[in-house]
Amino acid sequence: MIILETNVLLLLLVAFPIVAAFAGYIIGRKSKKVRDYFVIAVTAVEFGMAIGLCFTSGDFFWKGFVGYGLHFRADGFRLIMALLASFIWLMTTIQSRDYFAQFRNRNRYYLFMLLTLGATMGIFLSANLYTTFIFFEVMSFTSYVLVIHEETPEAHDAGRSYVGFAVLGGLVTLFGLFMLHNILGTLEIDQLAAAAAALPEGSFGTLLVAGLLTLFGFGVKAGMYPLHTWLPQSYRFAPAPATALLSAILSKAGIFGMLVISCNIFLHDYTWGMIMLCLGVLTMLTGAMLAVFSVNIKRTLACSSMSQIGFIIVGIGMQGILGEHNAIAVQGTLLHLMNHSLIKLVLFMGIGVIFLHVKNLDFNTVRGFGRKKPVLMGVFGMAILGVIGMPLWNGYISKTLIHESIVEYIAMFPSMTGMAVFFKIVEALFTFAGGLTCAYMLKVFIAVFVEKNTDPEEQARMDAKKKYMSWPTTICLIVGAVILPVLGVIPHLTMDHIAAVGEGFMHGHGLDHAVAYFSWTNLKGAVASLSIGVIVYFLIVRMCLMKRDITIGKRVYIDVWPRWMDIERWIYRPGLLRILPFVGAFAARAAYSVADVVITGCKRILFYNRPEKFVAPLNNEFGTYNIERKPKRISNSLAYSLLLFGIGIILALFFLLISTLVR
Amino acid sequence: MSFLLCIPIILPILGGLGLLIAKFKERIKRQIYVASIIIVDMILSLIFIFTVPDQKFTLVQFTDTISITLKVDGMSTIFGMIVSILWVVATFYSFEYMKHEGKENKFFGFFTMSMGVVMGIAFSANLITMYLFYELLTVATLPLVMHSMDQKASSAGRKYVIYSITGASFGFVAIMLLMNYGVSLDFVYGGILDMAKVGGMEHLMLAAFILAFFGFGVKAAIFPFYSWLPSAGVAPTPVSALLHAVAVVNAGIFAITRVIYYSFGADFLRGSWAQTVVMVATIITIVFGSSMALRTKHIKRRLAYSTVSNLSYMLFSLTLMTPAGMVGGLTHMLFHSVLKITLFFVAGAIIYKTGREYVDEIEGFGRSMPITMVCFTICSLGLIGLPPLMGFTSKWTIASAAVESGNPLSYAGIGALIVSALLTTLYLMIIVIKAYFPGKDLDVKTLNKDVKDPNMLMTIPMIALTAVSIIIGVYPTPFISVFETIANGLF
Repeated sequence: MIILETNVLLLLLVAFPIVAAFAGYIIGRKSKKVRDYFVIAVTAVEFGMAIGLCFTSGDFFWKGFVGYGLHFRADGFRLIMALLASFIWLMTTIQSRDYFAQFRNRNRYYLFMLLTLGATMGIFLSANLYTTFIFFEVMSFTSYVLVIHEETPEAHDAGRSYVGFAVLGGLVTLFGLFMLHNILGTLEIDQLAAAAAALPEGSFGTLLVAGLLTLFGFGVKAGMYPLHTWLPQSYRFAPAPATALLSAILSKAGIFGMLVISCNIFLHDYTWGMIMLCLGVLTMLTGAMLAVFSVNIKRTLACSSMSQIGFIIVGIGMQGILGEHNAIAVQGTLLHLMNHSLIKLVLFMGIGVIFLHVKNLDFNTVRGFGRKKPVLMGVFGMAILGVIGMPLWNGYISKTLIHESIVEYIAMFPSMTGMAVFFKIVEALFTFAGGLTCAYMLKVFIAVFVEKNTDPEEQARMDAKKKYMSWPTTICLIVGAVILPVLGVIPHLTMDHIAAVGEGFMHGHGLDHAVAYFSWTNLKGAVASLSIGVIVYFLIVRMCLMKRDITIGKRVYIDVWPRWMDIERWIYRPGLLRILPFVGAFAARAAYSVADVVITGCKRILFYNRPEKFVAPLNNEFGTYNIERKPKRISNSLAYSLLLFGIGIILALFFLLISTLVR
Repeated sequence: MSFLLCIPIILPILGGLGLLIAKFKERIKRQIYVASIIIVDMILSLIFIFTVPDQKFTLVQFTDTISITLKVDGMSTIFGMIVSILWVVATFYSFEYMKHEGKENKFFGFFTMSMGVVMGIAFSANLITMYLFYELLTVATLPLVMHSMDQKASSAGRKYVIYSITGASFGFVAIMLLMNYGVSLDFVYGGILDMAKVGGMEHLMLAAFILAFFGFGVKAAIFPFYSWLPSAGVAPTPVSALLHAVAVVNAGIFAITRVIYYSFGADFLRGSWAQTVVMVATIITIVFGSSMALRTKHIKRRLAYSTVSNLSYMLFSLTLMTPAGMVGGLTHMLFHSVLKITLFFVAGAIIYKTGREYVDEIEGFGRSMPITMVCFTICSLGLIGLPPLMGFTSKWTIASAAVESGNPLSYAGIGALIVSALLTTLYLMIIVIKAYFPGKDLDVKTLNKDVKDPNMLMTIPMIALTAVSIIIGVYPTPFISVFETIANGLF
């Protein structure tokens, strides 16, 4: 029984890609060409529907779907996310046609890509956590196939950590949801805040545990420290269009979940805000450090995603800390989320273009590819200026807002002692992480577009490539890149309005006055960041991360990141795959033998007089008597006697039946 | 008219006996004979299940309190429906499968008889009747377990008989105690204990409950009495699929539900030490079963251990001793039946077509047996509990019942469910991943040259059940609302 509340378009946005995925698969078995166009058409229609959604409002409620019920809603923030997701999906799908031209299993890729689109829409439009969770799980599993698409051993290894974290995260989140449902009595997102506020004193501890457990799965998907270890590898080995989706959209699904928890259950809560702030700072710094040290360009961008997610989490933390007057943090979080998606779309699409010509994306091999390719350089330049927070580009605006929220909080302290120092340090780290962003992006830009390849022949080959991308990809890249400065130049006309549309979701109240983005106080932060970046680049990257290779006599990029710093390989994997199974197997064996000891004991007593008859069962598969059975007449066997006994019972029953009927 | 109730029970038993005596020579004739009996029996059972006749039918009256009586109530309808419908599906599957096992007359004879016995369990109105059919079930299914009559099979059969009969005899002791301290032996929601008599003897009754739980729990493979179930995997696959994933093991669950909610009464047991004992046992079984499944390479035995674990999901939920817990148990009983029978069908199809039985031998089957492996994948994801497929709803129902019950052990139980879900993912997804993404160094093409999907008789049951699992998974509300009515004693 479907109860319709006006807006069927919501269901359509979710269900259409899922249905189309299977249709595309069937078409693809007949004709690859038609399938390619079909898939692009599907994502275009999806984008169209997302635009159409802006002119509607209301909910879609399907009572009883998978038990609890499905609930979608069309309102400000969800609209922005739906638009963003469908736009980015359209862009990457157009590029996929070129990118996958030489790949096998394209049909499978498109099937799971469209399924993931449906699931992602489900998350972004969901109006209760149950719906969010359902689609979150679907998304985790379908995107696994995208990650391992190339089926190389490395991709499989990355896929294993991806799916391992996803499954573990999903289960822990599920546990959290059980607790939340029990404590709050509802999972409807707009009722959560009221339910949490109505809780009696003293139940905050349980609520906090439930919240953290729920956060776990979302944190995994966002790549939050210390659950990030799957991220660099998975992003690196997934095909570039899939990485664009992972980085630009799927990680935002994690952020969506975080926002639901942070801005409803723990609305304006200081403790929660502090937890998020610390996690955010750690994520931001770890990601940036990893990115600076990375020797693979795709991995650098992957770690950059993680770092930028850290900035967003810092924003979420500041929302809690600032309490009622958090409008600036709300807007910063929202805008940085959007900006990061748009920027990473361009960067990963650019990487996809490069990958078509240079299969190995290590800095040393890809070096010099971008020389004499002005379009690619322009596009990359726009995105890089966006991400490092250069004034007049979009990233500057959102970073400034988040930075401003920290500064505003520090200003509330009467003196510079205690917690004020802590926040001062946070602010410094924020600026420093911004500097690292600048440093690793410079590393990327200079390696690809400025330096020459160490092998002159290779450089000549690269320079000779004039037609290195098709016109649809070019258009997509340019469209994606032009948006960034447009947003950044006229923030009051564009981004302020977007923020105003979306802030209701986070219970923001709007700013008292417009922020003067280009005032000197704000520009100062950017200048500090950028200077740190340039210094780090020349002192650390050029000095310590490059070395003269004596065989060719040129400086090359080297990997100096210590091996033991890999948390996954040294802590998570051994813990999960060695110690835990050992303990488990030991317990299981102990338990297994309990029953066996009893049985063996019984048998020994039974065959006390004839020890030769009994041999302890050796075959673990099917515990049997080890000696050859003498051929004996079936009439002597236990089974036969039981059979007779059974027949006897049945006959007796039958007799009784008849006698009753006669009586 | 009420004597009609015994027809669904008598018909297959007589039909099966007839088959054993007549010994059809031609396969097609036997198939028509068996199919018609089983389909007619399903229709009759479903008629009773949907009309729910009010009257009881007493077959034999021994004394005032002891009688063989049949009646249909809420619990009967669920168990009867699961069993009768799946029996038909499994019958068609076994028509094809049993071609390579031989001795078909004997097999189908006992296979048909078992259906009658199981319907007897479903329709029994008191503990004595249930006990009678419960013992008969062991006897009737024994020849199926020992079908191949080789050493492994006879050893497994012996184990099966010893475990089951010993267990049931424990149950019998409990029944005797109930007879003395209860009003009658009929199934009444809320229990039949006579509190005036019980006064002062609570601990004796709790001990009796423990006996009954572990006694009937043998068929539900509760730790430490599980080991007959993996051994019984030597039986032909339709037997493993229908009996050891659905009928026999669910009979154990059914009996325990009757014991908890209809004999001792959940109110009497809730909060007692007996509840703690049984809950701990179920929690251990949940984790233990999944761990054993992971370390077992034989596909059917892996699925059998998975059944051990999943049966304890239901037992855990039932032992919460709340209506919500009963809903969770029943939901998982239905969902697990559909999913597990399909998984076994797939394992059977692989054995039937290729003779391969181990996890490592099926690399690359995703391309060679597309239909089979798609069914396996979907049902695996369902069992793992990936929303919106079936297992998710049942897990959600169980876990929210657990949180709601307020029992401190219930958190340990949810923890066990989560660990088990993780292990389930591992032991099932390993199979799926091997099937779809074989190692590059393996020459899958030549290795799986002759591997093909089986014919319609085998694929249609698998496809149908998979489709049903998706539909019910997405829209489980009608079932859950029926379970809720039953669990609140209204039906």
